[in-house]
Amino acid sequence: MTSQPLFILLCSGEHEKIQMAAMMASVGAVSDRAVHVFVSMNALAAFEKTASPDQRYHGGEFSRLLREKGAPDAIQLFEQGRMLGDLKMYVCSMALDITGWGEDRLVDGLFDEAMGLTKFLSEAESGQFVTL
Amino acid sequence: MAQRTKIDARGAFCPGPLMELIAGLKLIEVGDEIEVWSSDKGSAKDIPEWVAKVGHEMVGVEQCEGYDSIVVRKAK
Repeated sequence: MTSQPLFILLCSGEHEKIQMAAMMASVGAVSDRAVHVFVSMNALAAFEKTASPDQRYHGGEFSRLLREKGAPDAIQLFEQGRMLGDLKMYVCSMALDITGWGEDRLVDGLFDEAMGLTKFLSEAESGQFVTL
Repeated sequence: MAQRTKIDARGAFCPGPLMELIAGLKLIEVGDEIEVWSSDKGSAKDIPEWVAKVGHEMVGVEQCEGYDSIVVRKAK
């Protein structure tokens, strides 16, 4: 049986939510399941390519613990999901317009393309949808 | 004879041991095995679940002192 594709809408800039999105995306993608991630709103800042972990990740107590204990880095998990599985990453074209950022400001090679929400929602009709 | 590669993922948190296993499976031949050492408490259940889903073979899970030894055979 073919698994339903998983669509993750990542809007939050909270480290904990970005970490969970990265875990779901990477594990799903290496489990014979297509995963599509759409990054928008405050989540965008976590994907700036020149950002240090301190600049990239902001959150609560669990964020502190994730970093203190050396949990896998969220950006690296997304990269592993792309390398080892069927993971596609999209950046919200509206978020790029609002911030004035170009795609070249984002982590190199991580995103497939900029996409509008309408197209993402249309593609997501065939799968399971998660918002973080 | 099947070759066995050991991956020491002790100290790595979820999903680190699984991702290391998957990366390792890409490098070995069908029929060969990987033994993952993991101190992550979920690995002993998560890895067999993943193995069953994607069609590899579990050889076994053994509880050791402070970690689990999980052996997987590449089946495809």
